[in-house]
Amino acid sequence: MEPWQLEPAHDHGLSMSQRTRSLQRESGLVSTALHWTCWTIIRSYLGLYHRLSIVGRENLPPEPPYILVANHTSHLDALVLAAPLPARLRDRVFPIAAGDVFFETPMISAFSAFFLNALPMWRKKCGPHALQELRDRLLSDPCVYVLFPEGSRSRDGQMMAFKKGLGMLVAGSPAPVVPCHLDGCFDALPADRKWPRPRRIRVTIGKPLSFANEPNDREGWERLMQAVEVAVRGLQTNKIV
Amino acid sequence: MSESTRNRLFDYTQAFADPVATAVTIALAAVLILVPCIFVVLSRLGKITDPMRGELWRRYFAWLVLIPLLLVPILLGAAWTILGFGALSVFCYREYARAVGLFREKVLSLLIVIGILLITFAVFDHWYNFFHALPPLIVATLIAAAILQDEPKGYIQRVALSVLGVALFGVGMGHIGYMANDVDYRPRVILFLLAVEANDVFAFLAGKTLGKRKLCPNTSPNKTIAGAVGALVLTTLLVAGIGKYVYHGTELDSWPLLALLGVLLSLAGQLGDLALSSIKRDLGVKDMGVLIPGHGGLLDRFDSILLAAPVYFHYVGYFVGFGLTSTPRILTGG
Repeated sequence: MEPWQLEPAHDHGLSMSQRTRSLQRESGLVSTALHWTCWTIIRSYLGLYHRLSIVGRENLPPEPPYILVANHTSHLDALVLAAPLPARLRDRVFPIAAGDVFFETPMISAFSAFFLNALPMWRKKCGPHALQELRDRLLSDPCVYVLFPEGSRSRDGQMMAFKKGLGMLVAGSPAPVVPCHLDGCFDALPADRKWPRPRRIRVTIGKPLSFANEPNDREGWERLMQAVEVAVRGLQTNKIV
Repeated sequence: MSESTRNRLFDYTQAFADPVATAVTIALAAVLILVPCIFVVLSRLGKITDPMRGELWRRYFAWLVLIPLLLVPILLGAAWTILGFGALSVFCYREYARAVGLFREKVLSLLIVIGILLITFAVFDHWYNFFHALPPLIVATLIAAAILQDEPKGYIQRVALSVLGVALFGVGMGHIGYMANDVDYRPRVILFLLAVEANDVFAFLAGKTLGKRKLCPNTSPNKTIAGAVGALVLTTLLVAGIGKYVYHGTELDSWPLLALLGVLLSLAGQLGDLALSSIKRDLGVKDMGVLIPGHGGLLDRFDSILLAAPVYFHYVGYFVGFGLTSTPRILTGG
């Protein structure tokens, strides 16, 4: 017989509010049902209201782990970037969201955790420990992260320089980075608007980049980050008509 | 739905029609009022140290919520009793599944929850045959469903954990709800819960005051032989004493039979407790959850009713029966 494989939930012993903020959070039946419902609503909304089109879906790696990265201009971005993924991964796709916005209060944390399946990244106090936890989980689960390396939304729609956090997450790791580009999200819901406008949105998925041989140090992070930034900029095309 | 069924399910004016239900409610209320007074006096006298005091208050507040939560649905009507224990089974299963890792098997977990809900439905419907047909059918479904992922690795473990889940939370807890199909269910269910929970408290108190030799140190290091024996004696006295009123004029109305019921309840209660302790030791977790401050999870509190419920149900069922005079199959007819 195989040795015993099942083990307690990794978030066992945490209270509900600790659980929502934990990087070790695991979905049960209720969260899974919520993720499915939420995902279905979001997909239909994006398709109907924003005429979402997806280019380069064949570039997605067949199985996790991998990280989807893109330019960041709008609160719609994480929803749009997760949309091309196959349904069976619904429970294993984690948008990495700013802790100080999406995990500020217990209510907002619960929403981010149970509806969006987001994991928190604390922008100010993100120590190496939290990054290591994220790194480990990506491979051991294995799962998909949705990440915006600019660190925050661009206020004018132009792409900003990438931060090295992404490098710390994947340098030397077998998980590939899939560069993507989002068009139309800024038009639809820029940072200063409250409700989205009916604008067309397009996701362009590029070829996966592997950084398994990149050293996990400052220079490695720098090179990695530049390579990804170049790849994302390379996917930028003319405006959608 | 007949008049008598509706009364059994929803008539809260009957809450205190039975003297035993009234007496137990008053006694529990008195305990809940007296205990904090005793705490205050003891700590004024310096008999309780600071960390101990915090622990005692936490446990007291948990009971302050748990006792009404258990008692109020039973007093209000059979519908709330059955639905309440159905919900308790689902929440206990959730804790179990997260602790043993079975929650990652989404299909099996969903089937078990559906199974528990079906058992609750059969109980509510007062459909005895369906109630007893469900456990083997659920088990067969689980054994079959676990094949579907075409992954023989870990098959035995997945199925074994699922079947244990059904046994503990579908079968074990299902039996408590079923008692509410009796017209006279209030004193019977109250006697059961009171006996099993008091059994825990008796074991704790007897163990603290007299306990020296460990009962089974590897499974549960704090339990002592004196605690187990003390609980056995006190619970037997309690069950025989109150049972004399609850089962007055029935075949169970005899001291030896009631004493035997007390002995069985005490043993089953303590064994249920130890069964959950074994699960926790095996997993290497201290508590099954965090829902009840001072106790841990729901299962850390309700572990002792899991094995005791079928024992009580079938023992009383053998002599007196449950729901023999109430209308069967109130929803499905037939």
